[in-house]
Amino acid sequence: MSTESPSQQPATSPQIGVDEWVQRSGERIAGPGGLLRLADRTPPVLLLAAFIGIACAVPLLTSNGYVIGVDADTLLYVLLAIGLNVAVGWAGILDLGYVVFYGFAAYLFAELSSAHYDIHWATWQTVPLVVAATVLLGFVLALPSRRLNGDYLAIVMLFFLQMFNNFTTNGYAWNWLGLSGSHDVTGGPTGVTNIDPFRIFGHVMGPGPRDYVFVTAAGIFVVAILFHYVNRSRTGRAWRALREDPLAAEMMGIPVKWLSLLAVAVGAGVAGFAGSVNGAYYQGVFPDTFMFPLLITVYAMVILGGAGSLGGVVFGAVVVNVLLEILRTPDHARWVFYAAMILGLLAKLRPWRLLGALVAGVAVFGVVAHEIVGAVWARGVGGPIATGPTSFTTHGFWATLIRHWMVLPKNTYTAEDYRIGNYAFVIVIVLVLACTALKGWKRWALLVPTIWGACFVWETVLIEQNPVVRPLFLGVILIVLMATRPAGLFGKTRVEIV
Amino acid sequence: MSGNGAQKQPLLDLRGLSLSFGGLTVIDGLDLHVDEHEIVSVIGPNGAGKTTLFNLITGAYRPDEGDILLDGESLVGLPSHKINQRGVARTFQTLRLFLNMTVKENVMAAQYGHTRSSIVEQMLQLPRARREEREINAFAEEKLGFFGERLMGYRWNQPAYSLSYANRRRLEIARATASRPRILLLDEPAAGMNPVETHEITELIGKLREEGGFTILLIEHDMHVVEGISDRVIALDHGVKIAEGSFDQVATNPRVVEAYLGTSAAVTK
Amino acid sequence: MSTVLAFQLQTWNFFFRELVSGLAVGSLYALIALGYTMVYGVLKLLNFAHGDVYMVGAYIGFFVLNALGSPLSPVMPIVPLILLAFAASMVGCGLLGVVVERFAYRPLRNAPRIAPLISAIGVSFFLQQTAVLLWSPNPRSYDTFSLHPGSSGIGELFHTAFTIGNFSIQYVQLVVILSTIALMIGLSLFVWKTRTGKAMRAVSFDAEASSMMGIDVDRVITVTFLIGSALAGAAGVMTGLIYQQLNPYMGFGAGLKAFTAAVVGGIGNIGGAVLGGLLIGLTETFTVGYLSSQFSDLILYSILVVFMLFRSTGIRGAPVLQKV
Repeated sequence: MSTESPSQQPATSPQIGVDEWVQRSGERIAGPGGLLRLADRTPPVLLLAAFIGIACAVPLLTSNGYVIGVDADTLLYVLLAIGLNVAVGWAGILDLGYVVFYGFAAYLFAELSSAHYDIHWATWQTVPLVVAATVLLGFVLALPSRRLNGDYLAIVMLFFLQMFNNFTTNGYAWNWLGLSGSHDVTGGPTGVTNIDPFRIFGHVMGPGPRDYVFVTAAGIFVVAILFHYVNRSRTGRAWRALREDPLAAEMMGIPVKWLSLLAVAVGAGVAGFAGSVNGAYYQGVFPDTFMFPLLITVYAMVILGGAGSLGGVVFGAVVVNVLLEILRTPDHARWVFYAAMILGLLAKLRPWRLLGALVAGVAVFGVVAHEIVGAVWARGVGGPIATGPTSFTTHGFWATLIRHWMVLPKNTYTAEDYRIGNYAFVIVIVLVLACTALKGWKRWALLVPTIWGACFVWETVLIEQNPVVRPLFLGVILIVLMATRPAGLFGKTRVEIV
Repeated sequence: MSGNGAQKQPLLDLRGLSLSFGGLTVIDGLDLHVDEHEIVSVIGPNGAGKTTLFNLITGAYRPDEGDILLDGESLVGLPSHKINQRGVARTFQTLRLFLNMTVKENVMAAQYGHTRSSIVEQMLQLPRARREEREINAFAEEKLGFFGERLMGYRWNQPAYSLSYANRRRLEIARATASRPRILLLDEPAAGMNPVETHEITELIGKLREEGGFTILLIEHDMHVVEGISDRVIALDHGVKIAEGSFDQVATNPRVVEAYLGTSAAVTK
Repeated sequence: MSTVLAFQLQTWNFFFRELVSGLAVGSLYALIALGYTMVYGVLKLLNFAHGDVYMVGAYIGFFVLNALGSPLSPVMPIVPLILLAFAASMVGCGLLGVVVERFAYRPLRNAPRIAPLISAIGVSFFLQQTAVLLWSPNPRSYDTFSLHPGSSGIGELFHTAFTIGNFSIQYVQLVVILSTIALMIGLSLFVWKTRTGKAMRAVSFDAEASSMMGIDVDRVITVTFLIGSALAGAAGVMTGLIYQQLNPYMGFGAGLKAFTAAVVGGIGNIGGAVLGGLLIGLTETFTVGYLSSQFSDLILYSILVVFMLFRSTGIRGAPVLQKV
């Protein structure tokens, strides 16, 4: 942008002054890691191209339908996260109605290209229309921002989500409040199915995720570039200004209300495209998809990566969705769990001696606990290790390790023994909270039973309960990130009041 | 009213302005005018309604009665950004910079009202968007250059929060001038500054008029600043204008002394 | 002629039944809204997790009633049993609220305003999913055993307390409405008469100045969460008594409605929150009763949007000035 170098300043020697010191101290606080610095230095277009390249290479390199499917899902989430980032990351508006736009677009696409109303428009007609309609809906649903802001606006947007869910779930008998005969708008709980796939230049996409990987990747490529330019232009600056201080922005000639509408609507446009892809790719839209959990998922992605940073939200979406997928299979989930725990300890624990002591402590604690439980309550040990379809941990070194270190009750999945895990879950949460509250050696001492307890809960309950563990994981991401690093992994640490 | 020639219309003209919050009257029937190219200072004890006056002019509050005319056109009821685009810009007593934006971005953001490219043009980087971007970039550099070395060079791309207090005040003024106002409302520009910086800011305000061509309405507690640059001084107390004239006239006005020091206080200067 | 009369009688009966049940539901919302309004007043935080604290309260009550009052042979008489359920739920929820505040909100005291809200959403989701994990996603029901007169168990609660003309009211509804009023009066006395209450008002007016005047702001906030969450716990047990049904997701919608009640009543205003709760309870009941049960959420939330838009300064609140 600023191609001219700062000229007309003869002496470029670093002057000792207040500003430099403040700047350095800010750097010290923010402390960008090596990875971050590397990402900063690489030109964004190159990063984007690399990302798109990798995403598109997946279906060319493998024929594993599951992997390609995860690739397509991930790209769809990336698109959603980029759209949400406009309102949340740039303009600072907590757009809790975002999923409505996605759902609206998916339903609209479905109804314009399925047997539901027997309309089968061509893709080049439906997609632009759906996107335009979703942008319009974005403007309409953001209208409350003219009178409300902050939390109140967020809540009203959430009302729209509730209304949308109510409408889609019961919309099979819509009757204009008794003023007309009842007719089927949304297909109700079973949704709209048998949706036409995309047809582009006579080529029918799908069935299957392969083609939609390319469609979505192309969409991401275009949207990311367009948004990159917007971010550097007057609108992007004005959004950031209104996030920083709406009142000052307004007084500096920035029409804050209009820009709030615009931010929500532009984000909605992206959700509009993503919704169309959703309809065509899954060939069905269902009311359960577009609910609060999806909203939390997309928020967790945006916030983990770093709201406000395009690269960050892309990264966040990939990480979160891939982790959520891995959590589906106990065998894989176990590796993620232990790896995350070890990485977390490596990142947070210094000096090494302490880390070593901790690991030794946890190991000894586990063995002792195993022996004591085995002596007191025989049924409490020797239970099965939970595994997935591709088990390789029931035998061999790791399995032996887990067997002798962990307490695994037999008949774990009877109602009675469930309770053991449940109590342990609550106790572990209390221990974790206590660890954050304690200081010094007490914390390290408490960490030993906490870590072992977490592993116990993991092995006995969570590993088999992936429908619950996945959302729990999202909730934990939000809470922990807000407490430790609100800017996310790649966002710039923001300074509020100095 | 005395010095206000009927042939020449004042740039900013407040007529019978009143505002009350609940039962409390904050501004009471205030008449005030600022001529083109004038520097007018508003003084008064805390709570006299000085900042409220700025809030009224910039549209943060709406007056209960009275009118605010800029060049003969009423500003009452316009949203703040429209008022800014008509030619009124302000700084804030408490400093309200866009802290996490860079120094230059702060100044560029203030030119929003003077650019026209649509979001589609920006997305596609069409000629108008690119031309405007070049223009406001150059304009921002020019405005920052107004402050000598203080806001130059490497500081352009630093976040605003990294600036020192005095430089933040300067940046606020730069941001206000970048919105191309005709009249600048400066709310205590010298607050919290040391004597050297105060002296510098006094000179700067003079320069803003001479070189920048701005008309300036100023709130200030530091009497050295007020004395040094004001063409005219207006004293407020409890939302009422209690004195108006040259600095010496106002400073020696018994009502002003009373307002600052209380009724029975001895006048020792 | 007589058919018209009978029809009218029918409709009036229906109306009164709806009115009473609307008041009862409204009382529940009012109790939850009190927690929202107090926390918002003191911390300027939308405690999104509050609705889920209420859900936990309902479960605590459920477990107490189940453990001690099996329907056929309750261990103890019905009145102490219910009081015990209330006490357990209020204590449990109060502690939960304090823990949530201490660990999820306190570290964010000086963070940007959006951060605690996101954290609160995270806590809400976490509590909800924890409930799914611990207590399964399937609905449970308070075993009120029998609605028949004469049988033992909690069924007695559902006897008609009294009837005036067409107007009849069940014991349980009476209990809910009266205890809401009692709790509201108690809370008002607490806020206006006690030292802690005064500190609370001071903090909600200006936290920074209060801390400079020697008020322990953190303690005040803790007390606020304790009381607000305890009230939500009471509301949870009442919900169980009125509707019997409870599930891990019940806190979400109730929380949204109760927060709106707090806003409609003027945030930070105790009486206003109760009025707002009753208003929204009645609106909901009449919407379901007269307009549409299938699209009740659609209609109700559109009304709530309108409430938020036009009453965002509250029934009794004064317009808030922007500080410039």
